[in-house]
Amino acid sequence: MALRMWASSTANALRLSSVSRPHFSPLSRCFSSVLDGLKYANSHEWVKHEGSVATIGITDHAQDHLGEVVFVDLPDVGGSVTKATGFGAVESVKATSDINSPVSGEIVEVNSKLSETPGLINTSPYEDGWMIKVKPSNASELEALMGAKEYTKFCEEEDASH
Amino acid sequence: MRIPRKLEVWRLGRVSYLEALKLQEKLASDRKMSKIPDTLLSLQHPSTYTLGKRRTDHNLLVPESELKNMGAELYYTQRGGDITFHGPHQAILYPILSLRDIGLGARKYVENLESTMIELAALYGVKADGLRKLETGVWVGERKIGAIGVRISSGITSHGLAFNIDPDLRYYKHIVPCGISDKEVTSLRRETDMVLPDEQVIQDQLVSCFARLFGYSDIIWRNGSSIL
Repeated sequence: MALRMWASSTANALRLSSVSRPHFSPLSRCFSSVLDGLKYANSHEWVKHEGSVATIGITDHAQDHLGEVVFVDLPDVGGSVTKATGFGAVESVKATSDINSPVSGEIVEVNSKLSETPGLINTSPYEDGWMIKVKPSNASELEALMGAKEYTKFCEEEDASH
Repeated sequence: MRIPRKLEVWRLGRVSYLEALKLQEKLASDRKMSKIPDTLLSLQHPSTYTLGKRRTDHNLLVPESELKNMGAELYYTQRGGDITFHGPHQAILYPILSLRDIGLGARKYVENLESTMIELAALYGVKADGLRKLETGVWVGERKIGAIGVRISSGITSHGLAFNIDPDLRYYKHIVPCGISDKEVTSLRRETDMVLPDEQVIQDQLVSCFARLFGYSDIIWRNGSSIL
């Protein structure tokens, strides 16, 4: 885990993209960090389920492929999100990218720090860069998401096929 | 193993911004459902100012009513980027691609769009560059020749790039272009010593640079009036 985090921050510092690394060992081909204990969507969002609240953000792989985030558009508290549907957007390199929710539910908190410091998504995608917290309406949606190992493999396969 | 990648290019001529926007929305939806292959719209707009998702209208230096008097339109859009101008003699490409299918993230996609314009400029002996941190776009020295503003929704791109062949640069005086106040805007006409061919030739060359950079080996060209 520590080695992966080091690799990820080195990769970020050198602005390496895992897409451009064809054959590599012994590290995993995916330079980005993946945390155990989170669930992952194939559109590169993560979910942390604690009690009745699910926290949502985008993964290290996602932020690396986006570039430096300069603007974050988030919904209001009290709104709702639907699985696999957009709830907000981030802007980087003059591109706005929609962010999709991995689960459905009611939005109970929104990370207001991101309007002042959108770069938190790049520097701390799993912690300070969290985006919204929801009360999930359907527990089975969480079950359907990928675990850390599965998501790591998913990233590797995605990057390898090109 | 590389599967030959197919690109459908639509040569649309001059199209209003709104018409192009509606077309892109439909194509993006079709592309998401895999009803169509990766598609590229090649066109020009009448005089039009556009803003991005951040709605930076403090960079519009004249009231909207004055734009109407000039015969220019104004649109607020969902694309990234700041305020810009589109008009005749500016080549526009709107790629509607599935980024997941070609394995690109936003950053690499935009770099490729920059490279497309850099390569085209090079055909005319103009040395342009990109990859400028926080100043995405294509530059000749400190003068901007190409702009980018992109939307990515469920991995499908829309909007795209605008390359100045020979637009009326006076229109840029009414805005702070791309939010950058201390740099000029330029055009291929201004920067090259070569005689420029017919604009359609340059527009098609821009498409070819795009196709080559993005690795499309199978290109189908379709022409304007039959599509809209």
